[in-house]
Amino acid sequence: MTDSGEEKLLNVSEIQHFSTGDGPGIRTTVFVKGCNLHCPWCHNPETVSPLPQKLVFSGSGKTVIYGRKMSAEAVAAEVLEDREFYGADGGLTVSGGEPMLQADAVSGLMRILERDGIRTVIDTAACVPWEKFAPLLGRVQTFLVDYKTSSDETYAGQIGGDRETVIDNIRRLIGAGETVRVRVPLIPGVNTSDTDASLMCGQLAKAGVKTVDLLPFHRLGSAKYTAMGKEYAYAGISPPDAETVSRLRSIFAGYFDCFVE
Amino acid sequence: MRITDIASRTDIEALKREIAVPQSGEFRPEWFRAEGYRRLSEKGENGLTMPVKRAEAIYTLFTLPEPFIYENDLIAGSIRPLFKVLTDEQKAEAAELTSHYPERWFGTHSDHFAPDYKTVLELGIPGLQNKIARYKEIHRSDAKAADILESMSIALRGLSDRLKAYAEKAASMLSKLADRSGIEAQRLRFIRENCYTLTVSAPKTFAQGLQLVWMIHSCFMYEGRYAMALGRIDQYLYPLFKKDIDAGELTEEAATALVANTFAKICEARLRGGDDVVNICIGGVDPDGKNAVNPLSFCVLKAVGTVNLPGPNLSARIAPDTPDKFLDECLKVIGTGLGYPALMNDSVNIPALLRYGYDEKDVRNYCMVGCIENFLPGQQPPWVDGRFDPIVYLEKLLLDRDSLRSSSEELGLKNGQDATDDPDAITSMDEFMKLYEIMLVRGVKEYVDNANRIMHVPDPEDKTSPFLSCFAELCIERGQDINNGGSKYPSVHGAALMGVGTVSDSLAAIEKLVFTDRTYKLSEIIRAMRDNFEGHDALREAVLSAPKYGNNDDTVDKYAVWYTKRLSDEFFKYRTYDGGGFYTAMAANISNIYAGSTLGATPDGRLAGKPLSDAASPTYGCDRRGVTSTFLSVSKPDYTNCACGTVVNQKFDPSAFRDGKREKLLRLIRVYFNRGGQEVQINSTSRRTLIDAMEHPDEYPSLVVRVSGFSAIYVTLAKEVQLDILSRTQHDDL
Repeated sequence: MTDSGEEKLLNVSEIQHFSTGDGPGIRTTVFVKGCNLHCPWCHNPETVSPLPQKLVFSGSGKTVIYGRKMSAEAVAAEVLEDREFYGADGGLTVSGGEPMLQADAVSGLMRILERDGIRTVIDTAACVPWEKFAPLLGRVQTFLVDYKTSSDETYAGQIGGDRETVIDNIRRLIGAGETVRVRVPLIPGVNTSDTDASLMCGQLAKAGVKTVDLLPFHRLGSAKYTAMGKEYAYAGISPPDAETVSRLRSIFAGYFDCFVE
Repeated sequence: MRITDIASRTDIEALKREIAVPQSGEFRPEWFRAEGYRRLSEKGENGLTMPVKRAEAIYTLFTLPEPFIYENDLIAGSIRPLFKVLTDEQKAEAAELTSHYPERWFGTHSDHFAPDYKTVLELGIPGLQNKIARYKEIHRSDAKAADILESMSIALRGLSDRLKAYAEKAASMLSKLADRSGIEAQRLRFIRENCYTLTVSAPKTFAQGLQLVWMIHSCFMYEGRYAMALGRIDQYLYPLFKKDIDAGELTEEAATALVANTFAKICEARLRGGDDVVNICIGGVDPDGKNAVNPLSFCVLKAVGTVNLPGPNLSARIAPDTPDKFLDECLKVIGTGLGYPALMNDSVNIPALLRYGYDEKDVRNYCMVGCIENFLPGQQPPWVDGRFDPIVYLEKLLLDRDSLRSSSEELGLKNGQDATDDPDAITSMDEFMKLYEIMLVRGVKEYVDNANRIMHVPDPEDKTSPFLSCFAELCIERGQDINNGGSKYPSVHGAALMGVGTVSDSLAAIEKLVFTDRTYKLSEIIRAMRDNFEGHDALREAVLSAPKYGNNDDTVDKYAVWYTKRLSDEFFKYRTYDGGGFYTAMAANISNIYAGSTLGATPDGRLAGKPLSDAASPTYGCDRRGVTSTFLSVSKPDYTNCACGTVVNQKFDPSAFRDGKREKLLRLIRVYFNRGGQEVQINSTSRRTLIDAMEHPDEYPSLVVRVSGFSAIYVTLAKEVQLDILSRTQHDDL
């Protein structure tokens, strides 16, 4: 296979059918493998490394290998199986991992699906150079963009990214006429203070954001850490309580259409 | 006081508490029946025919036990009066007396029946009696018919006198109340009024209609029948409902309260041990094919949600033009964890029933009895079914050399001069399938002969059902018992086909390993089956990684398509003893667990003794690509071949039923039904809750789950059943 052919292959971690949490309608979510961030609370730890990984789940004894190179055609064929279910608003979501690290391959996948009128949602942390978005502009149903904190230090430290890049990309996407929905994970001890929330609101509002989803932290990914033989730094952290969620929601709701997942 | 006020001041939870109070004694309807026979012989029974004697015993059975009314009853009718403390001597005496009058049982058409409530609501008891009298006159020269009609008249008088006794009981309780204007008194007046009216006329109000239906149903309980369906209650009660609503006499809230007050008493069955399975059907199309969902459908749905207990087994018929709002309300009730209603696809069930030559209007009026069995209310004898297990024949073919030799002989498959008994002499999957079909064809014939032998009683003229026959179309007109030519259509038998997932996966594994990849010989698979795969790790690994039903993979799904059509076609060739059809079902209650426990290992990698795949579902845990793929696979077979019905169990996390998410489930179900899925029933209890309930049963006394064609309290189920529910593939979105 030629180098250019290799580029078109998607590095897929998992394909999830009847995905109801990643955009409107019934969707098939392709989780790609490889991420340029390293958030310690991540609930999809198997998608961080670009290399294939074998997870052994102690409860069920099941072994699952995450990570396989798939052609856009093969992924599209699987996505198309569910076309009857998508209706007017459903379709494909590419999540991860960081889909924008494989923007060319994603673009190739989208091109096949566009022929069948199937639309795509991109779920990204947007911590990539703006140029990466170029091939996707004008073709994406919605960009779901993570925004994790107002703090430059937290972004640079725990998360491993550059906050300015993220907010800049959000501003540019909106400026380019893209539909953007910002997703804020509520991580206890990281971004659940009123101050952080208010600052995030200011930054996002300034970038032109209209809609924000709040995603309260959960520990459902902890089994995956164990199965990877890793320790989960957030194993002992409880999800934010209902009161915290509703307090933060009221702050965000002052600026945006705000939903709690 | 108006019914709306009485209903709003009556607490359903208080009634549920009353119903849960244990009852002393044992449920002994046969003692009362025996008492009827005893009195009859005292009077001298000379000259009375068997049907009349049976009817006289029923009359005593209905009228002897003192009525019982709960403090919070709005609609009366209880099985408590049938409980008695009996000495062994009394029991023996009753058994001796009734032994001269043996009753039918499930296998000979006794229960699982949906009565024709529509006619009795229109005519009332007096009207029905008049009709009987009229036909007695018409049939006066036919002694047998006159006799049957006389027996029906006596039984019906039992019902009327039962209502009268309830009116009197209410009056007597009323006279003992200190406060004659309080809510207790109002409730008793309401019951007295309704019960009394029904003895002299047709029901005039919705409440009276409901009271009549419930008293008839109670009398079926007195007869000792089980799984008697209420049928299309939102249709036959709708005229009275609408009349009262239009007149401003009733509100939807009050109607819901009345229905809930009635349904709660279905749970009285628990007093005698175990829940009843009373099927109630709402929605669908009307006899003209138009959308039949009406405001009463919503009230019934709400009432079942309010009662929130197993017993009322709610089925919702969904047609293409059934409003989304109705389906959404169904999902809301399912999302409470109750597992009701089961969703039934009119677009499949109606064509399936039409294959048997019934009138289209009758078919469109179908409902269900028991778990999911399609039934034409009041137009056929009570339901009968059995289990047909194709895996038995697969095992025979593989493990029994004589079976292989004799089917090879039929196929002309030879090894040298003689028919072969060497499995490795089978050269193609096509040949293998032909041999398997030969086995199945023989099996079906054996099954049908046996079923007809059991179903057909030699003395139908003696084994009459005078009370039941009152609620079946044409029995009166013809002067014939429901089980002896009275019903509009003949008897049917449902053959529940077991283990479609196990069979499909087994065939796919054989095809891949033996005939496509040629990595193993059939004899090697057989050896591994005999050894329960012990010492055959590589082979088991290979069969486990062969294609599995439920992943939208045609290489295996084609076997489910074949299974459904081939077996149904075979059963379709046969008729019951009186000319009815043999339906097929892919729903076998929980017998997949028992059947599996008696069978050895299968070529799909299933180990000996483990459950077979459940109903029409893929093998649990084998449908790994999510619910859309499961539904794409499961909707490939043509279920218009399965007139009895199918069951597909699915489990979703409770979060899938939240506002904003439910519409996705709704769309999922619409697409599934549009593709020809026949049924789906959903559990919404999270896996974590189920595991916790197994560990701490005391903390979950009322956790209701969908089992198969019915729901049950989870902690009361056997451990294997609990594990089976737990292992159902759960579709959620983490």
